[in-house]
Amino acid sequence: MTFDLKTLLRQREISVLLMLLAVAIYLAFATDYFLSQRNLMNVGRQASVVAIVALGQALVIIARGIDLSVGSVIGLSAVCSALVMQATGSDALALTAGLAAGLGAGLLNGAMVTRLHINPFIATLGMLSVARGIALLLTGGIPVPYSGWAEWLGAGRVSGIPVSVVMMFALVVIVHIAASRSVTGREVYAVGDNPKAARLAGIDIARTRMVVFAFSGLLAGLGGIILAGNLASADPNLGMGYELDVIAAVILGGTALSGGRGSIIGVLIGAMLMALLNNAFVLLSISAYWQVVTKGLIIILAVGIDGLRRGAETDD
Amino acid sequence: MVAGISMAASNPSAPLLRLEEIGKSFGATKVLEAVTLSVAPGEVIGLLGENGAGKSTMMNIVAGALEPSAGRVVFADAPRRFASISEGIEAGIAFVHQELSVVGSLSVAENLFLGRMPRNRLGLVDFAAMRSASKAMLAAVGASDIDPGRLAGSLRTGEQQLVEIARAAARNPRLLILDEPTSSLTPHEVSTFLDYVRKARLAGISIIFITHRLEEAMMICDRLLVLRNGAIVSDRRPAGTTKEQIIADMTGKASLFAYSPRTNPSDKVALRVRNLADRDHVSGISLDIRQGEIFGLFGLVGAGRTELLEIIVGARTMSRGNMELFGRNHAPRTPAQALQAGVALVPEGRKTAGILPQHSVRRNASASSLRKSGGGVMVSPRGEAERTAAELKALAVRMRDDRQPITTLSGGNQQKVVFARALLSGSRLLLLDEPTHGVDIGAKSEIYEIIRRAAENGLTVIVASSELPEIIALCDRVAVLSKGRLADIVERDDMQEAHLLRLAFSEYEKQQ
Repeated sequence: MTFDLKTLLRQREISVLLMLLAVAIYLAFATDYFLSQRNLMNVGRQASVVAIVALGQALVIIARGIDLSVGSVIGLSAVCSALVMQATGSDALALTAGLAAGLGAGLLNGAMVTRLHINPFIATLGMLSVARGIALLLTGGIPVPYSGWAEWLGAGRVSGIPVSVVMMFALVVIVHIAASRSVTGREVYAVGDNPKAARLAGIDIARTRMVVFAFSGLLAGLGGIILAGNLASADPNLGMGYELDVIAAVILGGTALSGGRGSIIGVLIGAMLMALLNNAFVLLSISAYWQVVTKGLIIILAVGIDGLRRGAETDD
Repeated sequence: MVAGISMAASNPSAPLLRLEEIGKSFGATKVLEAVTLSVAPGEVIGLLGENGAGKSTMMNIVAGALEPSAGRVVFADAPRRFASISEGIEAGIAFVHQELSVVGSLSVAENLFLGRMPRNRLGLVDFAAMRSASKAMLAAVGASDIDPGRLAGSLRTGEQQLVEIARAAARNPRLLILDEPTSSLTPHEVSTFLDYVRKARLAGISIIFITHRLEEAMMICDRLLVLRNGAIVSDRRPAGTTKEQIIADMTGKASLFAYSPRTNPSDKVALRVRNLADRDHVSGISLDIRQGEIFGLFGLVGAGRTELLEIIVGARTMSRGNMELFGRNHAPRTPAQALQAGVALVPEGRKTAGILPQHSVRRNASASSLRKSGGGVMVSPRGEAERTAAELKALAVRMRDDRQPITTLSGGNQQKVVFARALLSGSRLLLLDEPTHGVDIGAKSEIYEIIRRAAENGLTVIVASSELPEIIALCDRVAVLSKGRLADIVERDDMQEAHLLRLAFSEYEKQQ
C-alpha cells in the first residue's frame, strides 16, 4: 500500500495518464492552436459524451458483460427526444422521452441477458441493429431539427465551461462514489469477479446485471441528447461507431474485459485520451483514415500489454 | 508396448523406481521435503495421506508433469528427468488422474483410442476393429459390462474412471499410478478391479495406488506409505498394522477425527424437508433437521449431496415437495432469497464457487452482509472493517492485513474467509459442502472447531462430505444418500464406516 514507483506504474490509470500528458505536451509544442481556449473546449466536449456513455459501459464490463448497442441507443434516443419536441413543444417531455428511450433499450438488454440467458455480446449486437433501425424508421432517414434545453446541454456554457463537461465531472464523481461505496456498486464488482461465487454468497446477480445494463442505456440516452443538442439536429445515424470509442475508453482506463476489476477515474482518463487523439489527428492534419486504423491499434495494444503481463504472472 | 516385454529381461531384483531426496517448492511453500522411496517391479504401494499432504505433487514429479526442485528420480536403472508427461508415457509410466478427462461427446471406444484410432484401407477410422479391441481392453480391467459403443458422457463417474484405467492399462505400462481409482466404484466393480490389480502385479507391473479407503489399501497393497506435510512419515506392511495407526500417521494427531460429545440439540425442528425432488438428481427426500444440530449428508460422487444443498439454498429449482424453515414455508428461487430467510452456504470448490479472486480478504468476508448496515444502500466502510476484523480474528485467519488479495492466503485460510462470510451474514442455517476439501491438517482441525462452535452458538449446520472420518467426527446424525435417494438416517451410535458405505451403495445394489 506504499507509494512504490513500480507498483504505481503497474496501475493502468497511471500509465494512461502519462500517455495523456505525453500527447498533450507534444501537441502543445507541435501546434499553436492546441492550447487555444476554443480548441480545449472542443476537446472537452468530445471527451464528455464518450466519458458519460463510458461510465455506464464500465459498470457493464466490470460486471462481466458488454454493451455493444450504445452507439445505436445514442441515435435512437436523440431521434425520440427531437420528435417529441417537434410534436409537443415541451422541453421536459422531450428530455424525458430521450432518457426513457435509452433506459428502455438498456432494460431490454438486461432482460435478454438475465431472463433469456442470451450472451451479452449477442444480445446487445442485436440491439445495436434494432435500435438503429427504429431510429431510421421513425425519421425516414432524415435528420430532425432540435433546439431548446438540449441545445443548452450540448452547446451551452456555465461560467465559460461547456455544460456537458460540467455534467461529465459531476457524473464521474457520483458514479465513482456509487461504484466504490454503494451496496449495488460493490455487488457489481463481486458479480464480475466470480459470478458463481457471488450468486452462492446471496447476491442477486440477475438484479445486478439488470441495473448495469439499464444504467448504460440511460447514460447512452443522455449522450444522444447532448450530441443532438450540440448539432441542433437529431440525425438517425448519430453515434454510429461510438461503441468503439466508448469501449476503448473503458479498456484504456484499466477495466478488465474479464470482469471484476476497473476504476471510474480510469474511465475519465481513457475518454480524455481518446478525445485528445481525435484532436491530434485533426490538428496535425493526418488523414482521417489513419485515425480509424490508430484507434483500433490502440485498443489492441492496451489489451495486449495487459494480457502479456498477466500471462507472465499466471503461468505455472 | 515393447517396454512391457523388455522389462522382464532386466534385473528383476533392482527397483523399478527410486526417488532420491526429492524436494519441491512452489514459491515460498515447501510441498515435498527429502522424499526417498523405492518401488520394486510388481510391487503394489498404497500412498495415503490427507488432502494437501503432497501425494499428487509427488506423483506428478514421477510422471513428468512437474520438475522436482531437489533430488532425482531413477526409473529403470537410469536417472530420469522427463520433460513432459508424454516422455513419461514413452518410458512406461501411466498416471490415471482423479479428475476425469474422458470426452463426453465421444463413444467409449473412441475415448480409448483417442489420438491413435485404427484406420482401414481408405484411411478412415476402422470402427469394427476399434470396437473389438475396446471390448478386450475393458475386459482386462474387469469392466466388461461397459458397452464400447456408448457415449462416454452417459456413463457413471465410476464407469468413466474404469474407461480411463483401461486406456492406461492398454499401454502396457511398467508403472501404473492410480489416483483414487475406487472412490466412485460400486462394490462389484471394486472387486473386479482389484482382481485386475492382482493380475497386473503377477505380470510384473508396479502400481502406486493413492486412496482414502484404508480397508481396501490394507487388503491389496504390499506396502503402505503415509505422506504428511510433504514428508513420508511411515512405511508399513499391512500385516500387523491397524487402521488406527494409519490414521494417526496421516493426521499427526489421533484426536483429529474424535467426536466430542455435545449438549443435545433442542427438539425444535429448524428445517423440515418433505418429499423433495428436482428434475434429475434427487427425489423423495424427507428430513427433519433440529436446531443446533450438526447434521451430516454422506454419499458417493453423484449421490446428490451438493444438489440437495443447492435446492435448500435456492440455487437449484425444486420440482416437487416442500420445505419449512423454522415453521415457515421455504421455497427460495435464488440464493439471495435464501440468505434473506437466514440460510447461508459454504460451497464446494473454493476456487470456482467460493472466493472472489480479485477481491481483498475483507471484501470477500463481507460479500454476504453488505446490506446489513447503512440502510442497505451505502456500505459503511468503518462498520464493514470492524465487523469483518472481529470475525476474521475469531476464526484465526492468518494474514498480514485484511486488505491483501485473498489469493495470497493459503487454501485453508481462504476457506476460513469463506466461512467468515457465511457467519457474518447472520444466518440461522449453515450449509457446508465439502468444507475441508483441499485444506491442510492444521486448518482442518480449526475448521472442525469453528463448525462445533457455530453449533454451540445455536446455529443449525448441515455438512455434506465424501470423507467418512469427517462425517463421523462432526455429526450428530447423518443422512446417507444413494443415487439421489435417501438410503437411511443414521444415529450417532450406529455410525460405523462399513455401515455408512453399505447404505451409500444401496441403490446400486438394487440395480444389479
